[in-house]
Amino acid sequence: MPDLAIETQGLRKEFRTRRGVRVAVADLDLAVPAGGVHGFLGPNGSGKTTTIRMLLGLARATRGTMRVLGQPVPDRLPHVVDRVGAVVESPKFSPNLTGRQNLLLLSRSIGVPDARVDAAVETVGLTGRERDRYKAFSLGMKQRLAIAATLLKEPALLILDEPTNGLDPAGIREIRETIRGLGEAGVTVLLSSHILAEVQQVCTSATIVGHGRLLASGTVDDLLGGSTVHRLVVPDPAAATAALERAGVPVTADDGDPGVLRVETEDPAAVTRLLAARDIWLSELTPLRPDLESIFLQLTADDAPGRPATTEEAAR
Amino acid sequence: MSSLVRVELTRLRWRRAVLLLLLACLVVPALITAATLWDTRPVSAEEEAAVRAASAQEIERCERRPRQYGVRPARAETRCAEVVVGWQTSRRDLSLAGERAGAGVGVTGVLVVLLMLAATTFAGHDWNSGSMSNQLLFRPRRVRVWVAKAVAVTGLAAVVATVVSTAYWLTIWAAMRARDLPVADGSLTDSLAQGLRGAGIAAGAAFGCYALTMLLRSTVATLGVVLALGFASLFLVDALPISGEWEPLDNAAAVLRNGSSYYVDVPPSCYQQPQPTRPAEGSTCDDSRELPGWQGATYLGAGLLLVGATSVLSFRRRDVP
Repeated sequence: MPDLAIETQGLRKEFRTRRGVRVAVADLDLAVPAGGVHGFLGPNGSGKTTTIRMLLGLARATRGTMRVLGQPVPDRLPHVVDRVGAVVESPKFSPNLTGRQNLLLLSRSIGVPDARVDAAVETVGLTGRERDRYKAFSLGMKQRLAIAATLLKEPALLILDEPTNGLDPAGIREIRETIRGLGEAGVTVLLSSHILAEVQQVCTSATIVGHGRLLASGTVDDLLGGSTVHRLVVPDPAAATAALERAGVPVTADDGDPGVLRVETEDPAAVTRLLAARDIWLSELTPLRPDLESIFLQLTADDAPGRPATTEEAAR
Repeated sequence: MSSLVRVELTRLRWRRAVLLLLLACLVVPALITAATLWDTRPVSAEEEAAVRAASAQEIERCERRPRQYGVRPARAETRCAEVVVGWQTSRRDLSLAGERAGAGVGVTGVLVVLLMLAATTFAGHDWNSGSMSNQLLFRPRRVRVWVAKAVAVTGLAAVVATVVSTAYWLTIWAAMRARDLPVADGSLTDSLAQGLRGAGIAAGAAFGCYALTMLLRSTVATLGVVLALGFASLFLVDALPISGEWEPLDNAAAVLRNGSSYYVDVPPSCYQQPQPTRPAEGSTCDDSRELPGWQGATYLGAGLLLVGATSVLSFRRRDVP
């Protein structure tokens, strides 16, 4: 297994429209480490799905290189496709066939025994409903069937585009646990999601894209960063503020609560000692870590939802 | 590849619309056969007696004025009944040669239309439901996927059309034998050969519709284009100064009948001078030209090759939604 499950360099996708050329993915360098669950974040129209579709050979890159499980794609995609499971956008099956028939057609096309269909159906909790027509499935059942299809291959890499869409809370929890379990079992999962809390809960690393470009990438801890801002609760905020300012420690009052201060320090123990020396006993000192949502919003602030990534009409 | 073809055949078998169209491929020709047999049924003694009884007044009028009925007065007593009853019970005899130009062509036409619909419905559904992308996530070699589907559609169409055509001609032959009608030497072989050529046309039409649907990615668009091409080709061939040998239907007829003829414009002078006999074949005033079967097959085959090549190249290169 290579170090990177997915790697792109200078990946670009342009769509020709009546008004010119629209750039969906602009020279994207993506690196998804092998093993674990990797989040793929970005606002609508930021090029996530287009990137996934190019990785899976459904769309052609305008330029750039891609490697999946160490193999250049799309040229060598047939050599790795049996180890790659994917759900791209909404589940897509024949509506008049049953769930089981749809899975059987896919499994037989890659020579997988029919028994694995039953196992996959059981894994995603569709047992008993698999002989219903697909068009009668709820959205959640369709998602489960799509995930069951990815499991037919026993993949080393799983690419999931909004896999919990339409699921009820119990279903969401099940799918998240399944994803986490797959990651722990050594399967690399690329999870494209708008639900930032989901990514924060499930993923070990993440990439954030906007306008088809890479905005940030790394482990979730790295993205969140080590915080130097702390929440400080003391009985006498004025005395504490004066003491901290005299010691050169930046301190501000919390906007929402007059009894709470915000202190910026890399050594919280020093703050504790300083205040204790002045007989000010703090009742709380908590590091304020930004959540992924605030990081995401900060990075993608200029990305209006639904807006095309980049338009290069005038240039063409 | 063979496993992919088997999967596509299973997909065909599980598509209800395709099954209904295949069922129609059996039912409609069966109805045509039944209608042919009914229209050519021998007149029974009971039927003749009933008609004779119902036409008693007409027979009487004939006997009073035989010349009005084209009967000589001397034979009025015997001939009038034959003439009047004959008018009302006259039917053509069943013959393989007659059906080759009649209902046999109809059976082929029905098979062509129904199998075209089955092919475009099958391929269009993959695009309409979006399941094509799912299939490619499992088998990304697009040319193989295209070929496997083409083999399944064309093969199934060929088998269905061959079985139905053969059954039709054997039924007609068996009915002639049962009615003690003479069967000319080689007539059954000629009929079966026409049936096979018709099956080839039906399979080719199904392939063409499949390829067009894979190109246009829509059943409705394909049917629209096929209808438009049909009308346009008829209209354009008539409107433009091009020969009838470029008319698709004439070429299909040439393949089916193993050669046919088409009409060409002749100079007005040909009509100004009296023509005591038919003009010499191939002369300036001969308004009929032979279209050999091989020429028709080449014409249709070239069209299919063009559509197929465009379709497979497009499927290989274009993004799949």
